[in-house]
Parts: sequence; structure tokens; C-alpha cells
Amino acid sequence: MTQKLNSLIGIFTGGDSASARSRRLKALSYLVLGIIAVFYLWPLFMLITTSLKPLTEYLKDPAGLPTAPSLANFAEAWELANFPQYLFNSAFYTATATAIFIVSSLFVAFPIARDYFKGSNIILTLYVIALFLPPALIPQFQLILNLGLYNTRIGYILLFLINPIGMIIMVNYIKSIPRELDEAAAVDGAGYLRYVLTIIFPLIRPAVATVTVLHAIGIWNEVILPTIYLTNADLYPITRGMIVFQGVYGNNWPAIAAAVLMLMLPILVLFMFLQRYIISGLTAGAVKG
Amino acid sequence: MKIMRDSYLFGSGGRWQRLTPLFLLLPGVLLYFLIALGPSIATSYFSFTDATGLRGAPVNWVGLDNYKEFLFQGLASRDNIAATLRTLRFSALVTVIQFTLGLIIALLLNQKLRGRTFFRTLFFIPVILGVVIQGLMWRLFLLPRGGPMATMFGWFGLQSEFLGGQPNEAFMWVIVVQIWANVGITMVIFLSGMQTISEELYEAARIDGASNWQLFRNVTWPQLTPAINTNFLLNIVGSLQAWQLFYTLIGYKPGTQVLGYLVFAEGFGQTGSPAFRQGFAAAASIVLFFIVLIIGAAANKVVSWNEQRYM
Amino acid sequence: MKSKWFGLMSMLLVVVLLVSACGAATEPAAQPTEAPEAPAAEAEPTEAPAAAEEVTLRVLVHQNPPLTEYLEQFNAAFEAANPGVTVDLSIVAPGDMPTVIQTRLTAADVDVIDYCVAPCAGFSNAIQPYMSGVDKPTWQQLIEANLLMDITDEPFVQNFDEASIQDAATFEGRVYAINVGRVSYSGMFVNNDLLADVGVALPTTWSELVSACETIVDSGNQCMTAGGADVWPIFVGTYGLLGAQFPDQAGLSEGLWTGEIKWNEGKGLELIEKFQTFTTEMLEPGVTGLGHNEATARYAGGDVAFMPTGVWQAPVLEEAAPEFDWTYVPFPGSDDAADNQYLFGKYDMSWMIAADTPHADVAKAYLAALADPDNYQEFVDTTGLLPTQPTATLDSKLGQAVKPLLDNYLVGFEQYWVPPKGAGQWADAWQASAWFAPFNEWTDAKELADQAQADLEAGLTSE
Repeated sequence: MTQKLNSLIGIFTGGDSASARSRRLKALSYLVLGIIAVFYLWPLFMLITTSLKPLTEYLKDPAGLPTAPSLANFAEAWELANFPQYLFNSAFYTATATAIFIVSSLFVAFPIARDYFKGSNIILTLYVIALFLPPALIPQFQLILNLGLYNTRIGYILLFLINPIGMIIMVNYIKSIPRELDEAAAVDGAGYLRYVLTIIFPLIRPAVATVTVLHAIGIWNEVILPTIYLTNADLYPITRGMIVFQGVYGNNWPAIAAAVLMLMLPILVLFMFLQRYIISGLTAGAVKG
Repeated sequence: MKIMRDSYLFGSGGRWQRLTPLFLLLPGVLLYFLIALGPSIATSYFSFTDATGLRGAPVNWVGLDNYKEFLFQGLASRDNIAATLRTLRFSALVTVIQFTLGLIIALLLNQKLRGRTFFRTLFFIPVILGVVIQGLMWRLFLLPRGGPMATMFGWFGLQSEFLGGQPNEAFMWVIVVQIWANVGITMVIFLSGMQTISEELYEAARIDGASNWQLFRNVTWPQLTPAINTNFLLNIVGSLQAWQLFYTLIGYKPGTQVLGYLVFAEGFGQTGSPAFRQGFAAAASIVLFFIVLIIGAAANKVVSWNEQRYM
Repeated sequence: MKSKWFGLMSMLLVVVLLVSACGAATEPAAQPTEAPEAPAAEAEPTEAPAAAEEVTLRVLVHQNPPLTEYLEQFNAAFEAANPGVTVDLSIVAPGDMPTVIQTRLTAADVDVIDYCVAPCAGFSNAIQPYMSGVDKPTWQQLIEANLLMDITDEPFVQNFDEASIQDAATFEGRVYAINVGRVSYSGMFVNNDLLADVGVALPTTWSELVSACETIVDSGNQCMTAGGADVWPIFVGTYGLLGAQFPDQAGLSEGLWTGEIKWNEGKGLELIEKFQTFTTEMLEPGVTGLGHNEATARYAGGDVAFMPTGVWQAPVLEEAAPEFDWTYVPFPGSDDAADNQYLFGKYDMSWMIAADTPHADVAKAYLAALADPDNYQEFVDTTGLLPTQPTATLDSKLGQAVKPLLDNYLVGFEQYWVPPKGAGQWADAWQASAWFAPFNEWTDAKELADQAQADLEAGLTSE
């Protein structure tokens, strides 16, 4: 009985050996993953088929296959005037805000994780509390307005320089890096700044990659904030640009589906690129060795 | 004035050099105070006023009137308590299932399987697509006549109205979609946590004759503590505040409201006559905040206890 | 040490709090966009300033594809007629309109507003004398905050019919908007071909409707469809039933407040029982999965006899099936045919001017151009709204169907009713058709009516 339990559990303990048991376990893994994957592939497939239908056909038969699949919805979205400008804006806001956030929060996360100064716990608690905080759309708006940053790129980027979830992920990840490393580096005479940037930062690549992706998604997909803060059409990110385009984000689901499928590509690429860092496998051993 | 603890070893120079970490930390924290904390505190202030949010409209202090109205006026307490219980049920189910499922998937995908990049990306795609599209995909998937789930139900002789039907069942389906949409984040956080577990630890344990279950319990689980804590906290807090899926999947259906939706509806007038009522909306969101605070604080306690056990 | 930290942090918090809270109580030092100041022109109201200065007129509208289509060519024409003026059109999703109107007005970043804030009904849901303890509607708050320009004396206001000015644009004797269209939501589309095939006459009373439905279903077709997945099309589909049962809709609102009319007695209870019949016997199965527009497309397929919904679906129907032979009639909810002659509806979008716009004359010229009868006719043709100008005509298929009924047009209950605060979630029983199985948990009309009345009274008796 324990044997069976062991082999069943054996699937879940990671690591593998070159035995027959391992092959059986892998088969079981594929089975489980496959079943779950069906529930991801199928809805995704429906999204794609929706984007290939004209609106009238979609309304008559929302769940069915398109009778004459066409890329018309995609072409319409692409023909949006100023598309390149909007795309550039989105990329600019996302890249800038994410970069500034990562760097600034690295230097907040590290001393908090190490508890280097009195009151570091209070700051951590404040960040945790930020998770629970109510949305403060109007006061935040009044703040940006009073700072004179309404309808400016800087003002808009400012909104995205915070991310309590990202902070918590980083703090927790840093805690798994042993203090002995700090001590060794200090003994070697390394300065704080250099240590954090050249040794800690590479070691926490998985956490940085995770936070980067989550943060980027938040900025890239944001719709209401550009509506409020950016009234000059030259500053529109692509999500705002799309609303102006007929029917999108209204009730024209095939057009929305096409737009979203297009919009998600850059983030998808980013995720696939960063996956290698999330699952780097480089840190295992380097830390303990 | 000793701010830095003795654990800080990098400052051998003068007092200012010892304070380097603080200087580097300041920009991040200041930004946070300015953009997040400040406006939220202003919200708390507004909750005690009749602020409308309109320029030129007078703002008067009304004390606890907004809270009394939201919590106690007429049958508000009955509906709010029902919504609170529903929210707790929602959060408990979502947290437990999403956490477990995310862990299992992460463990499976941590092996050297072929196509693991494909699976990881696939399970993460809902996060990239966002709430509106998640809602669209599942409204299509759950069409009572002709939808895939309806077809699958048919194989077992079952029939259902899914999201458009009875509140309890519609509620259950929102739970399913919520888990489906967010398990990718849980998975990614666990996967990144697993990178810190050195293979040598497993080897050493195996040499000592540990069984698979013991490997998991004594090596994997403790080493994953930070990831477990992160996921636990994020899961609970996220599910307590979630309402957007309810909005896109079933709309404002009596018998299904959760607190987040209630707060949004009161603030933006989805119930009855709409009005600009920043003060009232603020009070409603502060109530939600306190509920989340209490549960979040409890979760945080569990997290620290967990930390002390393993780290 | 610790106290120093607290001191520092609380100082920071106070500073931030002051900066962000400041804006609410006082006039912020608003930064307008790059648009330069317009000269203090003395031009006549219907002409642009004589000096050809560069003016950007900022117009905020909600998302509505026909409206956008119309405005694109209207704006181009306006710019051509007024050299130096550029119209900057901002389109916003309807759900975001309240927030954006707020922020734009606060930042003094808008000149002309298309007021379409849920329920997008002009100056509706005002506080009636018999109501107490309810909130002011959004438009009243805007007026009282002095954010809207008083346009009572502008000549272009008189282009619109008296009823629309009084009911949808006036507050305390002053006019603040022009309302550009009505809709009706209480009728139902009728599939003439199907009725002819099955051999059923157009029902004119409730009993006739009930038996017509039975006949239709027996013949293998469906009686009614609606967008059940979106929930609101179910109860909006019964606005006609509501109106037939209580033709004096303003009186219904008052009666519920004073207690003269109760949901679980007399006509109120009868109404709820009719709601149940509607939901369980008239609507086709599968409605729970249909969205609003999808239901219309389904209807265009020809298997369903009636579709109770608003006139705004006429363009969708036309596009889905141009050959479809349909008409639009009031929902026969009463056994007294005389009660079934009304069309209930609401006013739709209104246009207003921001009170402190720097381009007052250009803004007025813009509205004047919108109100010009030729332009207005084109607007009505494109958007399909029922006209609020006496000179406009509605030549579409819908217009033909609705024309004889327009004399019996009344504002609907939804535009009068303001629920008392503290009312429970079941108090709004005029939506009860959406609460019967399969949409929700209720199966007994009397029980639902009792619960509704109890929930309503909880609000009426609370502080």
C-alpha cells in the first residue's frame, strides 16, 4: 500500500531517474496535463473562430465554426489610423514604467527582505496592506492634476511605478537566498550597491522575470486609465486607440476578439522569452555550492 | 541614532555610507507613498464626507453617515451580510483549489518533459488576455445550447443553464472560471520558487533512503516556503476583491453578488439611480478593505508562522 | 530611532494627503490642454468668431457606432464652415462615462458633452415631492456644481419640441441641454410571416396573446425570444406589460412610495403573475444563453413570433435580415385593449456645454449646427432615434410602424422610479420577470410579491 502511495506521490517530487518507473510517471504526467490543457485549448480555439467570423454570422451562431473564415476583423483593426503611433506609445509606457519599477523596487525589496534597518517590517506591512487597499481613482486623479501632470506621458507612467504584488514576490524570493552570501561578499569588501546589482539581481532572475511579465501585462492591457489621463490623441496607447475604432470594446465581439488576439502577441513573446529565466535552472546549485 | 541593524555588513565607512541602502530605498518608497498610499488615505478621508468628486461642489463632513447607510440602512445589512458570506465562500474555494492545482501543475512542469514550454505558456495565456476576454471565452464555452460544456454534459445525460440559470450554479461556474484564469500565476510563482531547490538536496535525501513522499514533505515543501507564502497571500487577497468576472459573466444578478461587486455597484451606480457619490463609494470600499484586512492579517500571521518553521 | 521613523513617515503621509485631498474641496489649479484661449468675441450666437483664431473644440461622446459615423461627417462640415476650428472628438465606453465626465470637467478639459450616463435618459429620475432621503441624479449634481452652461435663451433650443425641452432638459425653469432623440422600449416586434403561416391574428389583449402563444408553440415554432444572458433584456421586454397594467407610470411610482400600490395586492400582484407567465410560458427555452444582439439575430431567422424589446434593435434586425417582414406594436399586457395603445420610452442622449469652456461661442455654434433641422434630419436617419424636433420625419420601416403610435408616447416607469434607500435587493419588482426560474430562484409569484413588498417597505420605513 505504501509502495503504491509512494509511486503515486513519486510523480510529484521532482527530479527524475532513468528507470521504468520514471517513464510510467511521465506518461501519467502527460495525461494529467493533457486533460487540463483541453480546457485551455478549446476556449482559445473558440476565441480564434470568433475572430474569423463577421458580426452577423457570430450573432446567429456564436459557438459554431465560421462558414467562410476571413481575416477581415484583423485587417480592420490594423487599418486604424495612427496605429504605429499608438503601438509605440504602448510599448514606451510599458517598457519605461516596468524598467523603472524593477530597479526601484529591487532596492526596496532587498533591505526589507534582509531586515537591515529598524522599521523595515513596518514598510513591508504597508506594502501588504496596499494589496487590500480600495481603488482610489478620483483622489489619484486629483493628485496628478495638481502636480500638473495631467495629459502628459510622465504623469501616465507615474501611475505604474508601483506594484505591491511585485514587491511581495521579490521580497519573498530574496528571502530564499541565504545570508551567508551577503556575509561572504561583505568580507570580500564588496560595496552594497555593487553587490545588489551584480550578484543578487542575477540570482533573483526568476522573480524579476515573473514580476516583469505581470507588471507589463497590467500596463499593456490598461483601458480606463488612459481614458482618464490621456486626452491628447498623440499620447494614446493602443488600447485607447482601439476604442475609438468602431465597435471595438463595445458589443462587436468578433472585432474585439481579433483586436485582443493581436494585442496579446507582444506580451506572449515577452513571456516566452522570459520563461527561460523563470525556469532558468541556473540558480540551482549555484547558491548552495 | 542607530537605524541600521548589526546584520548589515556592507558599511565599513562613515555614517553616511552605512545609510546607503536607505537612500537607495527612498525613491521606491516615496513613489509608493505618493501614488498608492496617499490617494488611498484620501479615500478614507472622503468616506466621512458627502464628496461628489465634482469640482465646484461643496464637501461637507458627515461623520459616519455613509457607513451607516451602507451597512445598516433598511435591509442593507441583510444583503451585505449575505454578500460577505458569499465572498468568504468564494475566496475559500478559489484559494484552496487554485493553490493546489497550481502546485500540482508546477510540479509536473518542473520535470524534463517535452513540450513543457508549450504547457506553461498555454496555462498562462488567460492572464495575458485579461478579464474581459476570459469572460467572453467562457460565455461561449458555457452556452446552454450548442456550447462545448453543454455537449460534454450531454454525454452524461446532464443539462444546465450554466451562467444564466440558478444563482447558486452560476456562482459555482464563476469560481471555475476564476481558478482557470489565475492558476497560471500560481504556477509561475511556484515554478520560479522551485529553481532555488538544489538537486543535491534531493540526492542527499535519497541516499539516506527517503521515499518520494518524504522527499516532497521534507525537501520540496520547506524549500518552497517563500513561494507558498506569496501564493497563499495573493490568492486570498485577490479572491476577496475579485468581482470583474462576475460582471462579465453574469452581470448584476440578485443572489450572486460578492462584496467587491457591491462596492463597485454602489460607487458607480449600477443599482437604482446612479449619482456621483465619492464619499459613499469611499465608505463602501473602506468596509471591504477592513474585511480584507482582517482576513489578510490572519493570512499574514500564517505566513510568518510558516516562515519561522522553515527558514 | 523608531519615533524618528514614525515622525518622518507621518510627515510624508500628511504632505501627500494634503496634496491629493486638496483638489476636492477647492478649485484646483487646472491645467487646460494645449488649446489656446479663444478671443472674447462678440459674434452672433450662430456664427463662429470673426477672427480666425485657432480653436480646438473638445467634444466628449459615448461609444455608439452610428453616432460616430454621423459625427465624423458632421465635424468635417463644421470645420469647413468655421475656419480655424478643429473638432477634437473623444469617444469613451458608456460604462466609463460618469468617471470621465467627472475628470474632464474637473480638469476643465472639455467643451461639449454628449450626456449619456446610465440610464442615458436625459434629465430623468428627478426627485419627486413624494420621495424622501434619496440622492440627487447626476445631471442635477452637475447643474448645482455650476458645471453646465445655461442655454435657456439660445435660439436653437426652440428647434426642439416643447415636451423634450420640459421633460429632458429643464431644471428649475432653466434649460441646460438639448435632447436629440427618444426611444421606445415597451413594444414588441411581430413576425408577420410566421403569424400568417400559423394562422394567428395579431393579439390585441393579454388573453389573446396567451392563447396565440399556445397556438404558435403547438405548431412547432417559438413564441418569444430575448437576450437572457445579459439579464436586462428580460425585464426591459416586460416594460410594455408593465405599462399596460399601469398606464399611469408616474402614478405607479408615487403609489409605491405612498403605499397605495403594493406589489402583493391587486394590480401589483396580478402584474407579477403575468411576469411569471411571460417568463415561463412565452419566452423560448435557451434564452439564458442568448445575448441581446444574438437574440435579435435569432429572431431574424424567422422561427420566433414576437420579440419584446426596444426600437433600437430595428437597425440590427434590418441588417441581419433585410427581407424580414416585421412590424412593431405595443405589448398587449392588458385585457382592456384601450390600455394597450401606449408606447413607453425614454429620452436618449442630450448635448450640453461645459459652463467654463473658454470657447463658449464656438460651442454654442456647434450645438446650433446639431440643432439645425437639415442636419438633425440626417442625424435621426443615421442613428434611428425617434425625433424630438417637430419638423423631422422618420422614413424608415420602423418609422412607418411607429408613426401612428407616437401621439400616445409616454415616458416610462424606469425614468420616474427612484428606490428608497435601505430597500432590499428584491424591492425593484418591476424587474421581477428576470427573477423567475430558469433565470433565478423564484417559482411562486405570490411568494416573490410578498418578498418584494417586504423589501420595499424596509426602505420606506428606514431612516
